[in-house]
Amino acid sequence: MAKSAKARKEKKKDFAKPKLKVGKGRAKPTNATDTSFKARSISVLQQSLTAAAPSTSTQFTHHLNLLNHNSDTQRLQSLAYLTTSLHNTPTPPLPVSVILPKIVPLIRDTSNKVRSQLLLLLHELPPEDVKSNTEQLLLWTRLGLTHLSSSIRLSSLEVLEWLLNTAGNEVVACPGGWSKTLRCLAGLLGWDNTETVSSTGMRVSNSGRPGAGNWTSTPSTAGKSSGDVKLLTKTLSVLSLFLEVGLLPTLTEKSLLKTQEQSACRNFPLWHLEQHLLTQVSNPFGHLNLFGAPRDEEGMGYEDRGDRVRYFGERWRGTFLGGVDRVKREGGGVGRVAMGVEKVIIMGG
Amino acid sequence: MGKRKLGALEKVEADLPNLQYKIRRDPMSYRENFVDQYNQYQSNYAIFVAAPSTSDNSSIISLKEYVDFVAHVADCYPGITKDFPQDLITLLEVHHADLEGELREKIVGSLVLLRNKDIIDSTLLLNTLFPLLITTSSKTLRAFLFSKIISDLRSSNVKSTNHKLNRSVQTLLHNLITSDRNSPKGLWAVKITRELWKRQIWTDSKAVEIMKEAALADSEKVIVGGVRFFLGGDKEREEALEDDSSDEEGVDMSKLRHQAGINKKSKKRSKDLRKAAASVKKDERKKNAPHPLNFSALHLLHDPQGFAEQLFNKHLLPQKSKLSLEHKLIVLQLVTRLVGLHQLTLVTLYSWFLKFLRPRQQSVTTYLACLAQATHAQVPPDLLTPCIQQIANEFVSEASASEVASAGLNAIRETCARQPLAMEDTLLQDLVMYRKSKDKGVVMAAKGLMSLYREKDPEKLKRRDRGKEAAMSLRSGEKKELRFGEQVTDENIAGIELLEAWKEEERLKRRAEKGLATDDEDSEDDVEKEDVAGWKNWDAESDDSDDSGGWIDVESDGEEIEISDSEDDRPSKKAKLDKAATATNGDKSKDSTGVDASPETKPEPEKKPSTFATTRILTPADLTKLRELQQSQNIAAKLPAGLRKKALTSSTLPPRHSDDPLTAAQIEGLSKFSHKSTKEEKIALAKADREDKHQSTTAKRKEKKRGEGKSTTNKEKAREKNFFMTLGKAKRKSKRSLGEARKVLKGHVYRSKHGGKRGNAGN
Repeated sequence: MAKSAKARKEKKKDFAKPKLKVGKGRAKPTNATDTSFKARSISVLQQSLTAAAPSTSTQFTHHLNLLNHNSDTQRLQSLAYLTTSLHNTPTPPLPVSVILPKIVPLIRDTSNKVRSQLLLLLHELPPEDVKSNTEQLLLWTRLGLTHLSSSIRLSSLEVLEWLLNTAGNEVVACPGGWSKTLRCLAGLLGWDNTETVSSTGMRVSNSGRPGAGNWTSTPSTAGKSSGDVKLLTKTLSVLSLFLEVGLLPTLTEKSLLKTQEQSACRNFPLWHLEQHLLTQVSNPFGHLNLFGAPRDEEGMGYEDRGDRVRYFGERWRGTFLGGVDRVKREGGGVGRVAMGVEKVIIMGG
Repeated sequence: MGKRKLGALEKVEADLPNLQYKIRRDPMSYRENFVDQYNQYQSNYAIFVAAPSTSDNSSIISLKEYVDFVAHVADCYPGITKDFPQDLITLLEVHHADLEGELREKIVGSLVLLRNKDIIDSTLLLNTLFPLLITTSSKTLRAFLFSKIISDLRSSNVKSTNHKLNRSVQTLLHNLITSDRNSPKGLWAVKITRELWKRQIWTDSKAVEIMKEAALADSEKVIVGGVRFFLGGDKEREEALEDDSSDEEGVDMSKLRHQAGINKKSKKRSKDLRKAAASVKKDERKKNAPHPLNFSALHLLHDPQGFAEQLFNKHLLPQKSKLSLEHKLIVLQLVTRLVGLHQLTLVTLYSWFLKFLRPRQQSVTTYLACLAQATHAQVPPDLLTPCIQQIANEFVSEASASEVASAGLNAIRETCARQPLAMEDTLLQDLVMYRKSKDKGVVMAAKGLMSLYREKDPEKLKRRDRGKEAAMSLRSGEKKELRFGEQVTDENIAGIELLEAWKEEERLKRRAEKGLATDDEDSEDDVEKEDVAGWKNWDAESDDSDDSGGWIDVESDGEEIEISDSEDDRPSKKAKLDKAATATNGDKSKDSTGVDASPETKPEPEKKPSTFATTRILTPADLTKLRELQQSQNIAAKLPAGLRKKALTSSTLPPRHSDDPLTAAQIEGLSKFSHKSTKEEKIALAKADREDKHQSTTAKRKEKKRGEGKSTTNKEKAREKNFFMTLGKAKRKSKRSLGEARKVLKGHVYRSKHGGKRGNAGN
């Protein structure tokens, strides 16, 4: 009930049906703009008087700054702009090391569209620059992989996949890249709470209570929605890719070995010639860790394939095989992917 | 196939608090989820550490959330989270300056939480927080850390004193002060120590040692902190204790029980009642517990002489001391209190005083009070005489203002009360002449001085000023000449003569009952029997803390402590006691109950010390009786008797404890008589002790009754009955026939005998 008579009347007016009369035009709406007048000039209160449009680089920075905007449509638009501008120019207007810190937090963005757009943007980055920034990217990817929300996990799996495809060797070689990512993936699959045999011969589970691991023997796909199964499949496929990159010798490596043999034959009196030449990687002494905090087993980088194989064999091989076996028995698409994982593990030694 | 077991988070879309709640319920089932979240925390941590200052807002918030989450459930997974505390500590140590405020607080709070869950120990926590407290520039963080440190120390000392932790922290604080005496950072050590002293967590000499070092520091703030602790720390502690005990408002158990009988019974209500009963019981026990025997900081000092000398030489003696006057004065107060309390010898102090004993000197009364405070029986009179001479010359003259003169006289009296030998007789006779002054304050001060010397050393007074008592005791040779360094020891237990008199009286009574001659000696077995009765159930009494409670009385009795540990006030105190004793004797002789029956046993304590205590062993019963007698004597001494009034004139102030300081206000005391008070002041003074709201005694009684939750009597109810309800009865009353009236009267008598219609008087 409206307060005053006037208010009541006005309220009634809203629902009153206008009476239409024959021969008369329709009544104009209240917000109609009067366009009948003509003018020589129109002055606008605020206007930009720069003759030249803003340069692409300023626009690029502008949109880069809009990436932590509140509204997700704005973020999406800015991302789209960045993607197209990266696509159109051969070299990015800003160095990748500046762009990356702005865009990586979007890995755990709440909006699905933003995340898929981010993946597109990442695909546009030049692979050489990605290689030198792998560590940072991997840090955020791992953050996304352990996120509470499964959709974020899924999209960060895609990011990891892209990363493995663009800079696979760097991913597995950078500090923490092999051990931590493995642990992360194991956690994602629920494979890491397996029992390890301690030196005294007693079976001790990771949680410190004997026998605790026996309780979680449910099939990993049981009772899960199709989205979860999809996530599992994706995880397994990314895992197999990851293990492939980490454990198996790459094509370039094989060819390198071959060329090494050839070159050894060629410069016969000289031995280990390439070790005395300037290195071709960006951070040749990174493994010495001269400037960072001391690292433990977890944070170490496993640059050599042999190191990686050894670490994997000691720490994860058993549990992964067990986990794969469990998933394989379930069959279906998941089982098929699991077969692939198993193949990689067995090939890796 | 059995029922399918669902994974932890399959059921609900969960957030962190939800997960936390579930983990607390069932840690094992949610282990996987925790591992995920711990990984998430680690990623967040790694990202933050990579760029601590440039992290965006959302990543800071998420790190904060995860830190909170992990800290809350860390005790469920000790294996997985074993690096977590160290992570937090490094984060705090390395990045505390550029951490965002809330995150920083969260990290500190989480560390405290981990400590409370016993994941890390107190030493580690304090070793982390304390350096931060000193180095950080953020005020809020400092306050937060301070409260956390205090609360942690408190909680780890709750059940029993954690000596190891206390020692390590005390060493830390001690080193903090001594390592760099110039820095004001030692203030934190002072603050922490004072707070813990106040809360009675630290009561040992190590804490006092810290404060001693603080008082000898070079930074003014630290010095003042340390000195103020010695001057006020103990008082603060006592007040805190009183606050604690007065805080808990008594729960009215009878009311609660009554309510429980009426209200609907529920589990919660009965639980509440039980809880209330337990708390009441606890309070009761606390009330009956002996007063915690804490030594004051001044008594716990290891080397008071060295401390006083150092303080004086460092802060007071040098001309270019950087302390302000106010701070200098408190240092002086501490030095003089130490000198007075421990009877130290600080020769330079008294000549140093000479400079400041001028009426124009700022806050000169404090200097005067300090001088009196620094005087004790062991100070050579030669040192004090110039001071007294100076005060007399500068303050006490016809030309000076009356307030000044009275303050000077008062100061002289206070000084001489502690060391009577410091006064020369010519000067004394001059000063005593001021009792003829026109000003009341000066007159009272001069009279005070005179009565002091009548008691202490009447020979220095003129013959006609000595007064009757002093003159007579001089003539009888009872008052001997005072000598420097002479020790007067008490051979008596206070009040022993009362006990002796009482015993004698009892013996006479008993013998009179038996019909024996009063002069005969008791037979041996009679005495023995009495003794046995006296020893009976003494150990039971000591076990039962509820009704004996005598221990507490002895401790809280100031006079006993006084006698046991200080000598400077003893003569006056003893005289007072004796006077009080004579007063009671006088009172008793006025009584008709027959104290006169034993005139020959009436003790004359001045002449021969009682051998009562040395010839026989006092039974516990004797001791209780002794206490009783002392108390009754104290009460008698408070009665407004003529003798009592006379005794009071010698000291206008109530008896002071020797631990209490002498303040400037006490020196200024008499000068309030020197100026005429205005009307407003008079009104304010008259109104001071009156209640602001007047109430009749009946109203007060009623209110009290209502406050206790009691109902009114039937009479009161009848009085409040509506008038119109009584009208009809009253109308009929006049028209009653004789028979009816008789019946009513009989009924009334019957009801009053049986307690009402239903007769509830008997049952």
